[in-house]
Amino acid sequence: MAAAGGKTYSFKVVLLGEGCVGKTSLVLRYCENKFNDKHITTLQASFLTKKLNITGKRVNLAIWDTAGQERFHALGPIYYRDSNGAILVYDVTDEDSFQKVKNWVKELRKMLGNEICLCIVGNKIDLEKERHVSVEEAEGYAESVGAKHYHTSAKLNKGIEELFLDLCKRMMETAQLEERSRGNGASNSSTGRRGVQIVDDEPQAAVPAGGCCTSG
Amino acid sequence: MSQRSERRGIHVDQSELLCKKGCGYYGNAAWQGLCSKCWRDEYQKARQRQIQDDWALAEKLQREEEAAYVSSHSSSQTQPPQSHSQHSLATFSKFEEKKTNEKTRKVTTVKKFFSPSSRTAPKKALVSRLRESHEAKTPSPSITRQSSIETDRVSRDFVEFLKTLHKPGREIHKHSRAFIDSMGNKKQDLSAEELSECVQDFYQGMSDRLLNHFKGSSEKVDRVMDQVEKYIMTRLYKSVFCPETSDDEKKDLATQHRIRALHWVTIQMLCVPVEEEIPEVSDSVVKAITDIIEMDSKRVPRDKLACITSCSKHIFNAIRVTKNEPASADDFLPTLIYIVLKANPPRLQSNIQYITRFCNPSRLMTGEDGYYFTNLCCAVAFIEKLDAQSLNLSPEDFERYMSGQASPRRQDDPAGWPQSGSRVNPVLTQIQHNLSVLSSLEKRQQQVIEGAQSLEAELTEWQESVAREVQEILERYPLDIKPRASAIDAENVENDRLPPPLQPQVFAG
Repeated sequence: MAAAGGKTYSFKVVLLGEGCVGKTSLVLRYCENKFNDKHITTLQASFLTKKLNITGKRVNLAIWDTAGQERFHALGPIYYRDSNGAILVYDVTDEDSFQKVKNWVKELRKMLGNEICLCIVGNKIDLEKERHVSVEEAEGYAESVGAKHYHTSAKLNKGIEELFLDLCKRMMETAQLEERSRGNGASNSSTGRRGVQIVDDEPQAAVPAGGCCTSG
Repeated sequence: MSQRSERRGIHVDQSELLCKKGCGYYGNAAWQGLCSKCWRDEYQKARQRQIQDDWALAEKLQREEEAAYVSSHSSSQTQPPQSHSQHSLATFSKFEEKKTNEKTRKVTTVKKFFSPSSRTAPKKALVSRLRESHEAKTPSPSITRQSSIETDRVSRDFVEFLKTLHKPGREIHKHSRAFIDSMGNKKQDLSAEELSECVQDFYQGMSDRLLNHFKGSSEKVDRVMDQVEKYIMTRLYKSVFCPETSDDEKKDLATQHRIRALHWVTIQMLCVPVEEEIPEVSDSVVKAITDIIEMDSKRVPRDKLACITSCSKHIFNAIRVTKNEPASADDFLPTLIYIVLKANPPRLQSNIQYITRFCNPSRLMTGEDGYYFTNLCCAVAFIEKLDAQSLNLSPEDFERYMSGQASPRRQDDPAGWPQSGSRVNPVLTQIQHNLSVLSSLEKRQQQVIEGAQSLEAELTEWQESVAREVQEILERYPLDIKPRASAIDAENVENDRLPPPLQPQVFAG
């Protein structure tokens, strides 16, 4: 739920996808910058948070992992209730996992409409040679359902930062639109601007994305 | 038992439904056949009467006490019969306890005279008699008393906390009190959802006020809201937890039966990544079970959430020890389901409903507690819908296990029974393990003792043999002291055979 004040946003993001597509590796890489590491300090990788600062606005990201096994499929709605974004992960070497993503998309659109920002993520691009899901097919599909498509590799730390940053920006836009449509959207001046500057206090999340204006 | 269900009944006579006072409104069995208004009047009267009685009693006792004190000073013959005092002691202590619970402030004077000295014994008897008549007179308009210790404590804490906020604090207190009073007045006619809406509206209004009027930072507002939630939910708990108007209780029973029927589900069927043979893991599992059961004893929604969170942390620990990597949701959810099945927590549905209805929503939506709570909801939903497919069993097997005709363990392989038996009960394994360790220790100790003994024997033997040898040698070479050999020319200087000593001769040359 986005905070009404417009100063701090709290977003809930659910992580969906079959088991073994690398959901856990993805978030651990993003939040701890580690991969298959014996030194991972966190006890668990099912609920992780990340604090970001985008265009001078604080964003609290809560990432909810979900159980991906088929028998827990029916529990999905309990998980993604009230979420602002969903990251649907598939394994580029596994055609079935991509089919699974399609099911999730249908379900999410049916239950939550267009208010949820969808990201379709093809993980494990370090295994490009064994790819079974073609880039064209995946990107075409993502576009057809109004989702963004990303290629990532948790192992090589590729594309993950961009994925989460993009998602945050999209969720902020959605929240601002909603605010304005509710009539009390007297949010500060930076809402109309397209240029985005990232001021980040955490070094690994600092990805400058070409901005020119600073907001107080 | 609710008003509604009685109205729906066909065979109930109309006159039985009306308030016994004849005011024209419907009555309720829970209020002894009175309507809500008349019941409140009665209740107030009875309460008032009791307070007055208590005061009268206190005064009377004080007067008697003074008289007794005077008389005991004038003559020491007023000692009471001992048996009497013993008889009344038990009831008296109960009475005192009850009084303390009720209103500590009011009874301080009374308490002073209740100190258990033998001199006041006649009054004790009196007190117990009075108390009995009390109870007969007013059956129980004092339901609210039982939990008043905790309520009092929470109220005090709340006031203490608000003092740190100065002016806003007073206002918060005023609003909270007014809200609790208004809930008390209308609670009887509302459904659970309406109650929930009232409380949520109050939360929303209060946090908006705090944000806008008092310009609090969001962290501070959160902190204040936590305290507000604690205060009002402790006060309202009794009337809004599992309310009569909802079917929570029925659901509780259904879930309990369901979990009991699923007692045969094993770790393997759920693919739980936890090995209970490891002592630390089984420890964590036990702690997790304790925490989830403890949830029912808390009153504040956030405290209940804290129990779920603590349970989850123990689960994560168990998984971490077993797998040596951080747990993902794929590991966590099955384990949580297993824990819920093992624990069968009391009033699970009621607790979940209560948290959903009355928890401050900001906690439930995005926070860590919210995540674990959502998982618990998922676990319960899974248990309710669980079928053969979700356990990777054939429908026939599932049916057989459910009906109790077969048990999965014995069926699988009779040869493997002892192993799986020990797997089921890690405590037994532990005991067995400890026993074998003990017996091996005993064996080793025995060896040590034997070794020590043989060493001792060897030592004595050695000592003896040395002595023997010495003896032998002594025997073989007896020490006979021979006369000392004299110097060659000590005595017989005049020995003939010796040539005469050389004499110096002078040669001329």
